[in-house]
Amino acid sequence: MESRLWLRALYARMWVRVMSVFNEPLWIAVNIGFPFFSSVGLGLLYSSTGLRSFVGFAILGGIMISFWGNVLWSMASQFYWDKQVGLFEIYLTSPAPMTAILIGMSLGGVVNTAPSAVLVAVAGWLFFAPPLSPSWLAVGLTFALTLASLYAMGMMLSSLYLAYGREAESINEALHEPVSLISGVYFPSIGNFSPFPFSVQVFASLIPLTIGMDALRRALFFSQGLSSIYLHLIVLSMR
Amino acid sequence: MSSVKTVLASIRIGWYRDFGWTNPVTGFLMKTIAPVASVLSASIVYWLGSSAAGSFDPSHVSYIIVGAALYSHVAAYSWVPSQAISEGKWSYVFPQVFISPKSSTPFLVGRCLASFVTSTLTSLISLAFAYYVAAAIFKSSIPFIVTPLSMILLLGALLANVPATLGLGILLAAYTIFASKFEWALPTYVAGLLMVFSEALFPVSVLPWPLSAFGNVLPFTQFIRAAREAVVYGSVSAYSYYVGYSLLGGLLFLGVSLWAYRWAERQGRKKGIIDRKVV
Repeated sequence: MESRLWLRALYARMWVRVMSVFNEPLWIAVNIGFPFFSSVGLGLLYSSTGLRSFVGFAILGGIMISFWGNVLWSMASQFYWDKQVGLFEIYLTSPAPMTAILIGMSLGGVVNTAPSAVLVAVAGWLFFAPPLSPSWLAVGLTFALTLASLYAMGMMLSSLYLAYGREAESINEALHEPVSLISGVYFPSIGNFSPFPFSVQVFASLIPLTIGMDALRRALFFSQGLSSIYLHLIVLSMR
Repeated sequence: MSSVKTVLASIRIGWYRDFGWTNPVTGFLMKTIAPVASVLSASIVYWLGSSAAGSFDPSHVSYIIVGAALYSHVAAYSWVPSQAISEGKWSYVFPQVFISPKSSTPFLVGRCLASFVTSTLTSLISLAFAYYVAAAIFKSSIPFIVTPLSMILLLGALLANVPATLGLGILLAAYTIFASKFEWALPTYVAGLLMVFSEALFPVSVLPWPLSAFGNVLPFTQFIRAAREAVVYGSVSAYSYYVGYSLLGGLLFLGVSLWAYRWAERQGRKKGIIDRKVV
């Protein structure tokens, strides 16, 4: 009975979130702005250096930044918005388990962000045609595990953000760019190509996005299969 | 005179909105972190690409640091008038301003100027911090002209760009009067378009025509060029040309934007648009 309630609560929260976007296609246009322009801008910067082979890093970064933005604005600070409109009190007083609501929110967030991420990918690949050398099984598995750990981080942050009021917006604005920088969304932040000293790389490795981005780049651009990135996958699974 | 008082009161409101939730030092630090990270990201992308291609040039790092810091600066305060309206609809502050007998323009100008001051300080800190961090992590000496004259010229460029940015802000605000949803997403588009079209990270000549021509005539492009002349290349004659272009182009743009805003405001009053349900 309890598991049935849990699943129903999860489905209900996911359904509301998915419908909020698919009933209003303008949401996709809203979500695509930042990732698209940053991909194009940094892609052009990569190609202006004379090295076209790294342009794909910028497009992959644009895809993943869509999800990071969603985690920050629609997971971490969601309960803050919910508190403002009186929805959070309803969650607390209803028998719906909070874990089901959080996971429903996460799944809905992934489904909602997917169209913008796909559009960034398609536009980026049409515009730049970067060279790819993918190991698709590794790409798929890494992508799924990265999203799972990223949204798990979002759930953790949402509980922290419950304590905050208006600060939530400022904290989000302050977190977005530094996490993108440290986790190497647009360039490798760990390993041989990293510009950061070892201590910063160790700190960066605590963020799931860092491990996910590194593994995705290896699998998508350097044809490294599961045997090469299994440590990344183990770390991501543990998050 | 009463307009000046409104602008000053609005500047105070803007600062209170930005820093009232915490102490000013924390609020200021929080506003500085994002531009610093953004400038470093762009510099590292250039470093990685150019090092791998064997074309790394330290003076180009200065080019990118200045461009990235200043496009974020423009983006940070150009959307404030629009934000003042969209947020004001939720908090019922803007309807109060809107139904007052005077135009809401001084209120928006004040909010924008408050953000200009904050953003100028955060951008200058980003420039300095990114310069030192980039020099350390790229292990190169990055050229940067730091003299009283270059700093005055940089400040002059920042001030000359105010009309253009205010114009952009007022134009977005004119749209926001009519919009009842998603107007809060405008900043991401403004920041993105500025990143690509204002020569922030790469020359606009990289873009295909007519996009390159569009980027070339923007006052924001001229502003970033002027700032680079002040602190990277050191040509006062080129600086004067770019800053003059930025100022004149900005004033023209501001005039058009003010006209558009007046029109939007009149329509808004006549049709009761401000009372539309906000989704």
